[in-house]
Amino acid sequence: MPATIEKETSSESIAIDRDIGNFKYKEDYSYDAGTGLSEKTVEYISNVKNEEEWVRDFRLKALKIFESKPTPTHWASKDLENIDYSKIRYYLSKGQQPSRTWDEVPDDVKETFERLGIPEQERKFLAGVEAQFDSEAAYSNMKTKLAEEGVIFVGSTEGLKEHPEIFRKFFGKVIPTGDNKFSALNSAVFSGGSFIYVPPGVHVKQPLQAYFRINAENFGQFERTLIIADEGSEVTYMEGCTAPKFETTTLHSAVVELVAMKGARIQYITVQNWSENVFNLVTKRGMAMEDATIKWIDCNIGSRLTMKYPGVILKGRGARGEVLSIALANDGQHQDTGAKMIHAANDTTSNIIAKSISVGTGRSSYRGLVQMPKHLKNCKNNTECDALLINTNSRTDTYPAINVRGDGNSVQHEASVSKVSAEQIFYMQQRGLSEAQAMSLAVNGFVNDLIREFPMEYSVELKRLIDLQMEGSVG
Amino acid sequence: MANANTSTLERESPAATNSIASTEGFDHGLERLENAPQWLLELKRSQWREFLALPMPTPKAEAWRFARTGNLSLEGYQLPTDLPDADKKSVLESSHLFESFAGKMVFANDQLLEQTAATQEGLIWSPLSNAMSEHGALLRKFFMTFTPDLGSEKFQALHAALFSNGSFLYVPAGMEVSLPFVAYHTACGQGTAVFPHTLVIADAGAKVHLVDIFQSARKDTKNFACGMASIFAGPGAQVSYQAIQEWNLETLSFHLNTVSAERDSNVETIMVSLGSRQARNEQHISLNGPGGNVDNYSLSVPIGNQEVDQRTLQSHKAPSCRSNLLYKNALQDDSRTVFSGLIKVAELAQQTDAYQTNRNLLLSNSAEATSLPGLEILANDVKCSHGATSGKLDEEQLYYLLSRGISRKRAQELLVFGFFEEITSQLENEELREHLNSWIGRKFHATPPTKNLEG
Amino acid sequence: MSSLDLRNLKINVGGKPIVKDFSLTVPKGEVHALMGPNGSGKSTLAKALAGHEDYEIVGGEAFLNGQNILEMETDEISRAGLFMAFQYPSEIPGVSIANFIRAALTARLAENEELDAAQYYRRLYEKMDLLKIDRKFTARSVNEGFSGGEKKRCEILQMAMLQPQIAIMDETDSGLDIDALRIVSEGVNTMRGPNLGILLITHYQRLLEYIVPDRVHVMWDGRIVRSGGKNLALELEEKGYDWVKEEVAAV
Repeated sequence: MPATIEKETSSESIAIDRDIGNFKYKEDYSYDAGTGLSEKTVEYISNVKNEEEWVRDFRLKALKIFESKPTPTHWASKDLENIDYSKIRYYLSKGQQPSRTWDEVPDDVKETFERLGIPEQERKFLAGVEAQFDSEAAYSNMKTKLAEEGVIFVGSTEGLKEHPEIFRKFFGKVIPTGDNKFSALNSAVFSGGSFIYVPPGVHVKQPLQAYFRINAENFGQFERTLIIADEGSEVTYMEGCTAPKFETTTLHSAVVELVAMKGARIQYITVQNWSENVFNLVTKRGMAMEDATIKWIDCNIGSRLTMKYPGVILKGRGARGEVLSIALANDGQHQDTGAKMIHAANDTTSNIIAKSISVGTGRSSYRGLVQMPKHLKNCKNNTECDALLINTNSRTDTYPAINVRGDGNSVQHEASVSKVSAEQIFYMQQRGLSEAQAMSLAVNGFVNDLIREFPMEYSVELKRLIDLQMEGSVG
Repeated sequence: MANANTSTLERESPAATNSIASTEGFDHGLERLENAPQWLLELKRSQWREFLALPMPTPKAEAWRFARTGNLSLEGYQLPTDLPDADKKSVLESSHLFESFAGKMVFANDQLLEQTAATQEGLIWSPLSNAMSEHGALLRKFFMTFTPDLGSEKFQALHAALFSNGSFLYVPAGMEVSLPFVAYHTACGQGTAVFPHTLVIADAGAKVHLVDIFQSARKDTKNFACGMASIFAGPGAQVSYQAIQEWNLETLSFHLNTVSAERDSNVETIMVSLGSRQARNEQHISLNGPGGNVDNYSLSVPIGNQEVDQRTLQSHKAPSCRSNLLYKNALQDDSRTVFSGLIKVAELAQQTDAYQTNRNLLLSNSAEATSLPGLEILANDVKCSHGATSGKLDEEQLYYLLSRGISRKRAQELLVFGFFEEITSQLENEELREHLNSWIGRKFHATPPTKNLEG
Repeated sequence: MSSLDLRNLKINVGGKPIVKDFSLTVPKGEVHALMGPNGSGKSTLAKALAGHEDYEIVGGEAFLNGQNILEMETDEISRAGLFMAFQYPSEIPGVSIANFIRAALTARLAENEELDAAQYYRRLYEKMDLLKIDRKFTARSVNEGFSGGEKKRCEILQMAMLQPQIAIMDETDSGLDIDALRIVSEGVNTMRGPNLGILLITHYQRLLEYIVPDRVHVMWDGRIVRSGGKNLALELEEKGYDWVKEEVAAV
């Protein structure tokens, strides 16, 4: 039975663009925590999920911390004050048990993900997929072979229930509840997200993917992801996200914790394309043990305000952390992104490359923290921040903080600001390209070395996304 | 000044009424200002109220991020009383670094001890205590009209309320003076607070060079120094300013400086931070007219548990200006430095060239350097960059020097000189360059004020 | 007949007249050299014809195959068949030569047409071999970090790939050593033929030993003051530009 489509975009085909996510289906939820946030909301969520006592206590404690923490406008955007927590809906779902096959997924939800191309991508190049629709995963599946090897890839609700011995050991350990106001909020009302465990020595060759979809208005999505790569294992996780465009505020506040045990490698890729009414306030951090590598590839195209600074705590000797970040801020958008590298062991290395593009009145900010405390030896950090400004009214900021102790380490930070020069555009036009094509080529050139780091399928999508964002930016 | 056998330390018992944190102290200070015009007295009163109203900095304040805020208490400091002649004599003896200069002033505890008159027609080289009455109108036009406002607003207000003297230099349009004007500021006596003020106004096309030397009479007196230096460079003017801060290692110091650069002016400032247990340096540079060009250099060589906290703002308000900032710190023992800089480019300031560089050399395992290099760019046709590095001495270079039989300490010292050369080579005045090198060298042979944990 | 046809052009830069009354016709199949001392207006003419907005054409007409290029945008002029080999080519960081030329060729196709990738690379490599450009260069960013000679060869490579009807080569010989000059000239000579007209802008006679022109024009103070056969260039070399200046003054 076809679902009723309330909003249609002009584009017929499933093209990849800002508007791809701009459609919604009629709301039809079996579980609804109502509007506003109180202990009752938290208890409702906990009851629906039939959680153990410790999880409920964890949530209630987090709520208190959230309420006690001020909005960090002394350094962050004043726009945060426009979030009205009493008008947001904190939990909406059709049930807590995701389907294992697309056939079992309710029609309207299935159609949503089909429009977004998720089942097709799964067939083509993914090892597993989780598709979250508002508060809960509607679909979750992984190739049988991986399950046989002991890989766990489930939603956080299921992870808490089925694998408490692994989950509890690391849950909230990389990002404590009180890390910041939004991690506290997530800890109180979290739902959905992924729980992944990769056993020692297992290399998951194809990526695991999660897709986060917001469908309802005035909604807050608070997924919680925990990925544990055991000794010598490898895994790549990719997440994508979209939402329809609403007049009202939508809130997305995730917490993502990664743990890479000795010699393990985790690569976490995000392509964030939220609609322009979404506040995207996400805390992401990984802990890398001896000789482990954690790499965040973070690409922010959408949202109204994004605040996200993926971090790595380099806890074991020889650990390596990397953040590659691309941000594109168009008219009215503020991409406040960056990276944190906390060196906590000798011989650790971190690398940050951040590139931002500001178009129209868009504002990109880089915020970073590199910390090398006392008595460490042979730690290295290299940071490069490059900003490209397209229009005369575009804005960029850079606010790094670099704190180093001792004479055994080295840190290098470089940042530059540039624009696409009139001479470059003229040169390309002389070869027959239109001004817009020339601009788009120059912008792609600016981010090219970073985009190359993405898996093929994503780099193509990303280039098209950037092209589309550049349309109409000149002339 | 070891020969000062009748020092203020033993004799003076500070009167409670002079305490700088008390309104009685403020009133007392006001009474001593004989020549102050009415507008200045009013300004002082309102700034005193401002001082009382503003809170003390806390570590949570963005403008004090990573800095120590626990030792900023103003208790125990008082305004100076008259110096005995023996002290005056020894201050004068230690205030002659330059053989040749265009003008000289010597201050001890903000009191003028000696001054050479300016010979140039139309040029004003006057202690502020005189300028208040003699050049009131000119003074009023510039005095405290542009302040750094980079976090030390409370101390700015305190400075305005309690300052009593300093140097006032006005160079008329088109006049070029190549020899430096030199002002010596010495703090004497236990608990004394000094508020040296420097005001330089270079009119259109003028050229001038000023050096401020800040020093203490003794190594062991706990002092509070809160100085301000403001430079106003008119259209096409060229100003060179150097501040050598060599307060003793017990001093809490603030140097809150500004540069205001008009069209086509050229300003170069160098701040050398050698002394103070805790030094807070603020530098606000404002480029107000097209073609303005400002170079701002700073070097520090902290030892023991000295902290040098540097906050800067390069504010581009007009198109086609250039600013270049280079801050270099070489840290020993448990010392700390914080560099927090911001380049701000206004929407209309197209064709801006702005650069900001902070390089930290960590010479011990417990020294700590923090960099907060920031950019806020609201125009798109700009060339802006910043760079920050923190690291150790190059092992290969060190090895090479050691292999030639040079001791480790000496080799380090040589490499640190090399590290600072980029800044010291900017000093055109040879005498100053030589002095500076010997001051830096001294920081390698000094006994740190606290026990070096590294042994 | 298809050609570049310039009639009484007047060009200002920053309000100042640089090209004052310039007329010249370059028919397809011919190579014309435009010589003149520094500041005579040669490069201004070239950039203005390519539609650079800093160069204001205040009078006269310019036709490419009968199309008025003064009403066209830079990219339209290019697609209409006019190629400019720049004296100082721009650097485009992050955009590889292969992608750049591909984008330029794609811009010449109809909307639903696509470039045959295999064929494209075959042609690209062929032209690169001809110009003795290492194939690794395809992955390098356009002109970024190139030596003077590499930049000029990259210009000629683009010219070979885009197959213009008229090419203006602005001081292509500047900054080239003798080997590079020979390679570039050979590249240009292989492109010579009935379908290409070339306007060689040069200060020195040297280039004309390698690319022998059909006609030589001398530009002075914004206009052509003398035209002749290839021997005019030799005459100039011998007598210097002062000779022209004196002649003009005498008239």
